[in-house]
Amino acid sequence: MSVGSQPPQTTRIAGKEEAVVITHEDVDRAHDRVRVSAARAQRGFFSGARLLWLLVGPGVLVMLGENDGPSMLSYAATGAKFGIGFFIPFVAITFCMAIVVQEMTVRLGAATHRGHAELIFDRFGPFWGWFSMIDLAIGNFLTLITEFIAIRAGLGFFGVPPWMAILIALVILYAALMSHRYWTWERITLAAAAFNLVFIPVALMTHPNWHSVGHSLITWQPLPGFNKDTLLIVLADIGATVTPWMLFFQQSATVDKGLTIKDIRFGRIDTVLGAALATAAAVAAILATAPLFAHQMSADNFQAAEFAQALQPLIGRFGASLFALGMVEAGIVASITISTSSAYAFGEVTHKPHSLNLPMGQGKSFYSVLTLCAAAAAAIVLIPGLPLVYVVLVVNVVAVLAMPPALVFLFMLVNDKEIMGNLVSPVWANVLSTGVVFILTAAGVLFGISVIAPNIFAALGGK
Amino acid sequence: MVRKEDAKVLGPHSDQASSDQSWVLSSLEHDQLVRAKKHHIPRRHLKGPELVVLWALRIYLLFMMAVVVYQVWIAAH
Repeated sequence: MSVGSQPPQTTRIAGKEEAVVITHEDVDRAHDRVRVSAARAQRGFFSGARLLWLLVGPGVLVMLGENDGPSMLSYAATGAKFGIGFFIPFVAITFCMAIVVQEMTVRLGAATHRGHAELIFDRFGPFWGWFSMIDLAIGNFLTLITEFIAIRAGLGFFGVPPWMAILIALVILYAALMSHRYWTWERITLAAAAFNLVFIPVALMTHPNWHSVGHSLITWQPLPGFNKDTLLIVLADIGATVTPWMLFFQQSATVDKGLTIKDIRFGRIDTVLGAALATAAAVAAILATAPLFAHQMSADNFQAAEFAQALQPLIGRFGASLFALGMVEAGIVASITISTSSAYAFGEVTHKPHSLNLPMGQGKSFYSVLTLCAAAAAAIVLIPGLPLVYVVLVVNVVAVLAMPPALVFLFMLVNDKEIMGNLVSPVWANVLSTGVVFILTAAGVLFGISVIAPNIFAALGGK
Repeated sequence: MVRKEDAKVLGPHSDQASSDQSWVLSSLEHDQLVRAKKHHIPRRHLKGPELVVLWALRIYLLFMMAVVVYQVWIAAH
């Protein structure tokens, strides 16, 4: 079909015959789908591997993106405060919760080809839609601030001044966008996210006691004392694996990538693979800082640079540098994915074009929201005297508290037969996701009790 | 049909913009097209128990945010 040379083709959209209008975004997405179809048409191991290579992305990105600055700081603080024990299997369990939750977004995105914010607005109306968007906007902006805190702190280890650290991060973020192509953006961000695994060699440099690691994985021992500090770390570690932006990002990225119902199996593999990689990096961060617990070092107000400095006598300058760089990477990848999730949601709600396949001219509002969110958060980090460690702590707690309402919307959408058809959640998935909502709500309530009525908390056995 | 304004911005695919583009339609599901997304998915009527859960969680979140603000205030003083 050419411009004006043939009669317009029609296609059936929403039950009506309409003239086809093909946009740049459609063409780019169609290119990606052609490659997927070609790989699917072939048989054999290599074509299967190629299909996996073509279809992985949103799941790995969301999981490694969630191993962000505050998350890695939280894992490092966990290792330094509690050593090897309860928290290693606990972190693995939190990632299992993340798989349960994120798998639902893959199904939703593939079945409806709509982003999460768009579906909430369309199905539940603007009243609930705006509540959901406000939660997301506040959470994303606060989390973005903490990403730049991690970047600033990590590069601070190498003597990079804060303004320069922030500038480097923004340049990398904008460079990833320059291709104006989802596929290229995804591969660049995946390459950066792979650097999250740098915590594994750092952990190996500390020569962990593998017998203790195996013992803790099986027995969850030794258990930490039941007190306010433990609760805070528990909340922070949960907030490090399941947060609202992940729901919005993975569903929108699934749609932007063009995944269909046929690809759901690979979407699940993508999510599990991402969770496995993220668990490995998170456990490695705990193992890396566990020697600080053994040496009884207080890490209460450590940022990335202080952790790296404290580890330097144990693992040398090279190991400490890798640790600091890992923190920088965590912040950069998360700042890319979180600002993208904000831009997707804004576009979906306002019905403005929203895709990483858009050229700058067509996606002005999408790219503006993305870059302005990042720049504003980055600017706040440069405010002198800001209590950065405290901000990180509060943001993690807010992420956990905002999760139950977001999960209920997801739960309702994924069980909506009108939009999901046969892809509604099976009973076991509903039981698991309801369990996740209860765990998160209970953790939030416990946090509330520890703040409002610390005496009651002490009577329950805490301090 | 390819709109002229879209054809101008097809960039690396500009050759294809002036040739047959039916491969795009055969590669994408109909509701994957940008044009299809302009159609809203019909609104769903929320039932009583669903509204109760949504309101309960909204109140929970607002209350917990107040707790966080209180904690920040305590820490600041």
